[in-house]
Amino acid sequence: MGAVTDDEVIRKRLLIDGDGAGDDRKINVLLKSFTKWCNSPGTPEEGFMQYQRMLGTLAQCEFSMGKTLMVYDMNLREMENYEKIYSNIEQNIMSAHEKIAECKKEIQRAKRIRKNRQEYDALAKVIQQHPDRHETLKQLEALDKELQQLSHIKENVDAKLELRKKQFHVLLSTIQELQQTLESEYFLLSVAVEQTNL
Amino acid sequence: MGPVELLHMSVFSQSFSPCGRFLAAGNNYGEIAVFSLSAALSPDATAANQKPVLTFTAHEGPVFSLLSTDVHLLSAGNGEISAWSWNELTKKNVKPLWTKRPNYKSSLEIPEINSMIINPRDNSLVVGGGDNNIHIMDLEHGVFKNILQGHSDYIHCVSVRDREAEILSGGEDGAVRMWDSRSSQCVHCIEVYKYESCARPQFGKWISCLTTDSDWMLCGGGPSLSLWHLRSLSPTSIFPLSGCQRQAAFYQDKILAVGEGAFVSHCLLGGEVKAQIPCTPQSLNTLQLNTNSTEHRVLTVGGSSDHIDVFTNLSYRAFSLSF
Repeated sequence: MGAVTDDEVIRKRLLIDGDGAGDDRKINVLLKSFTKWCNSPGTPEEGFMQYQRMLGTLAQCEFSMGKTLMVYDMNLREMENYEKIYSNIEQNIMSAHEKIAECKKEIQRAKRIRKNRQEYDALAKVIQQHPDRHETLKQLEALDKELQQLSHIKENVDAKLELRKKQFHVLLSTIQELQQTLESEYFLLSVAVEQTNL
Repeated sequence: MGPVELLHMSVFSQSFSPCGRFLAAGNNYGEIAVFSLSAALSPDATAANQKPVLTFTAHEGPVFSLLSTDVHLLSAGNGEISAWSWNELTKKNVKPLWTKRPNYKSSLEIPEINSMIINPRDNSLVVGGGDNNIHIMDLEHGVFKNILQGHSDYIHCVSVRDREAEILSGGEDGAVRMWDSRSSQCVHCIEVYKYESCARPQFGKWISCLTTDSDWMLCGGGPSLSLWHLRSLSPTSIFPLSGCQRQAAFYQDKILAVGEGAFVSHCLLGGEVKAQIPCTPQSLNTLQLNTNSTEHRVLTVGGSSDHIDVFTNLSYRAFSLSF
């Protein structure tokens, strides 16, 4: 357990001290010089110079601390930025997925429409092969008229035929009667002539 | 299975499991192989995943037709129909649940079964085969309840028209017959080879592929593959495909067709051939789309080869499963 934490500590220290073993050593040196300065018996000028030197080191340490704090702030804000971009991209992906699903549905609909259109076209082709209804009706009407005309003519001809038949019948019967009358007269006449001869 | 047998193998039928994760394929040796699609389609699939997880001999003759219901796999071979449970098959247990044979008139010759389909209206199985008749079996009770007679030669393919409760059948005699499933009468009979625009007398008059969309019907074989409008019983588009088509399917706004020729044809409903995607087998017998699963939505084709091509994107072949 102790070994692990030591490793961790060493690793962390190595990581933190990215500056190249500068800051940590500075702080240690500052502490050592401070204790030496407190316990030093030297002249006040030397003491003052040491004091100035220590202030300088302290300022340097504060400066580097400020720098690292700013870097830390910057990192935090970068992280936020990246989080935002990440969620943005995720949303885009979701909407793209939805659009894809929509488009797929559209394709299905379009395919169905195309199928219906083609079926309609196929049927229309067959229907076109049959003649137009109006034309056929007109043809039927014309044929009807012709038929009527022809039947009229037939009736007329029939009536004429009947009339002629009757007329000929009358003529023939009159001729026959006349013939008979003539024959009977001739017969009577011939009988009378025979009687006078006798 | 030696290399010579592999060379001579033909895949005649395929069916996806109800969960969509397995594919069963039947070949001309009477074997059925079950492939795991989820393993073959996963990103770290190896060559071993493209081999079947289970192969077993289901019938003595070729397995011409495979069909999946919600829990069963039905296979037809050598004139009989066997049912297997998909759950048992995934656990590699190959005992059939039942085996039934339709009532054939003559007991000497056993006619083969070419095609089966389920009529969802009354949960019945429609079976068409070599004895020129369509047999209808009630799946609940397991009895053959009806025989539809009318074809003069053997039946190649059957299909069901949901909305009008009709059964369509196409056969070697060139006729596509429509039967009313309730009264079992033949309501229409279309002789495709008699229509000049479709007929190809050099190939014959047989109809080997039939599929329907309730309003439209695709049929082909000897005559060219053609799209028919069922209400008016008139052919609306003829597809200029050179070989004889053996299976076709409606998919979204396109028509996929396979047959002679080492490619899958994509056609538009108007009659133009949009694309022909090359495949491994020299000629294809069967085409199936996995509609049971959303993440394994693939098209698989099989034919005169021991390889079954899998298409994840319809425009190109992704990989092949092999027996």
